Amino acid sequence: MIEELTPREAVGKALADLGDLRNDVVVLVADTGETTRAKFFAERHPDRFFNMGIAEQAMAAVAAGLASAGFMPYALTFAAFMARAWEIVRNSVARLNLPVRLVGTHAGFSDAYDGPSHQALEDVALFRVLPNFTVMAPADSCETYRAVMASAEVKGPVYIRVGRDFHVPTTCDMYKVFEVGKGYVALDGHDVALLTTGQMLSFALDAAHILKEKGISAAVLHFPTVKPLDLALLSRYARAVKAFVTVEEHVVHGGFGSAVAEALINLGPKPMAIMGVKGFGRTAKSPADLYQFFGLTPDNIAARAEELISLTR
Amino acid sequence: MGSLSELACEARRRLLIMAAYDPGIHIGSSLSVLDILTALYGTGRVKFNAHNGLSTRNYLVLSKGHAVHAIYALASVFGHLNSDELRETGSLGSRLQNHPEDDTPFVDVSNSGSLGLGIGMAVGLALGLKLRGATGRVYLVTGDGELDEGVSWESFAVAASYGLSNVVTIVDQNGAQLDGPSDEVLKKGDLAGRFRAMGFFVQTVDGHDVDGLVEALEAAEKAGTPSVIIARTVRGKGVQGLEGSVRQRIPRDEALELAGKLSCR
Repeated sequence: MIEELTPREAVGKALADLGDLRNDVVVLVADTGETTRAKFFAERHPDRFFNMGIAEQAMAAVAAGLASAGFMPYALTFAAFMARAWEIVRNSVARLNLPVRLVGTHAGFSDAYDGPSHQALEDVALFRVLPNFTVMAPADSCETYRAVMASAEVKGPVYIRVGRDFHVPTTCDMYKVFEVGKGYVALDGHDVALLTTGQMLSFALDAAHILKEKGISAAVLHFPTVKPLDLALLSRYARAVKAFVTVEEHVVHGGFGSAVAEALINLGPKPMAIMGVKGFGRTAKSPADLYQFFGLTPDNIAARAEELISLTR
Repeated sequence: MGSLSELACEARRRLLIMAAYDPGIHIGSSLSVLDILTALYGTGRVKFNAHNGLSTRNYLVLSKGHAVHAIYALASVFGHLNSDELRETGSLGSRLQNHPEDDTPFVDVSNSGSLGLGIGMAVGLALGLKLRGATGRVYLVTGDGELDEGVSWESFAVAASYGLSNVVTIVDQNGAQLDGPSDEVLKKGDLAGRFRAMGFFVQTVDGHDVDGLVEALEAAEKAGTPSVIIARTVRGKGVQGLEGSVRQRIPRDEALELAGKLSCR
């Protein structure tokens, strides 16, 4: 059962399964075969697995070369260190619109132990600005598995942001078919819409239940694809609700909330809050401690939504 | 057609014409790499209109993308490009852009422009060809300045680690980069020794002796290991007034005058 896997294990399993289905899939790591669980692919397809050593830049450039030779490379490392290859990704991958798939694991607060150097809170912003890129941030293991499998069908380059081990299985029975670029209604509502990406989905659902007890009807809209954003879903709710709250495990600048704001400015702006992080992370013993410390909790999400609703009365 | 040296000379004349019309070209760098490219194109090792998907074809990656005009000049000399089109290079509507882009003719696998990136791209391409069982080779042409980049050595380490004998690297060692002489900007040390220590088959040749370059290419192709040819070159080679100077841009009148003075027969 995929829901019993951790998000990174779901990545490894999806890659191994994709390798069974397609012989053009190759996998590159930067001394991160073990930590990203790409080793699951290596065990089944050793001839198509390449370790670049601790060299993220070469990993990106070599992936571009493999794509030019007709392969579909998946390159994996910690999301924080994928950023080191950004300019190479811009010039050699995005500019040529090559089918390179970058998978950044240990994203957000999921690597609580290793502190701010390892906690990628900027990666969605970095890859979202690149032309041709598709950016995904699945919520749990089930969705991670589906996102990686579905990424093989995308024409251009893809960035997938995944956590390490922490996740709350939420999407396993939520919908039947995962489509790249599609947002999902996790909960319908008409007063306020809570918009999430990645692992914040379960937190937003908990916040909606808190709001319900206070007589506020909150919709929860989940966007596993940040780019392209599901504008049809957004515009449906832009007319229906009074306010929007976006929640992400990422800095509030340039990420999912910014993407939503950029879209809503055209669809009819409403009172909106962007919840996330300002600044760098911190060392802790668990991601849960960090969510608490940085205020990304169901209580805070509910409080922010309530505050916005009161402004509209 | 004349000898390869005569063709290279004619290409130099056409580079000067381009320089007269396009202030964006790097004339000094294009002149230093020209004989290397002549050896590759002139012997049919790489072709101007190759198509992807052929399991036997070879590939050229020009990592020092700012010298792409040397390819345009040679393409016109070899009859693959109308020489009138050379005057359009760098214009908004022209396909002859000032660095290799994805829609630039004659460079079908690798855009470049950002230094060092073509090296990893070439290594990835060679890895892909090996995985496919394709017999083609990748000829990688780099500058010496771009060997300052960390990604250059990361990528060479991958080539060495995976034993990629199907990639032949030619370093256009013209000894100059933006801020001055290469070794004054940042010491390159014993370049041949650095490659040798990584397990490369290393040759050092005169980068303006086309016959010598061809001999070195033949030896590199037989090496059975990743190989590098350090081609000692001179910026602005073959044009009086530019040879040995760091000048990359020249006024139109001077460019046309130099083109008129160049005698290739």
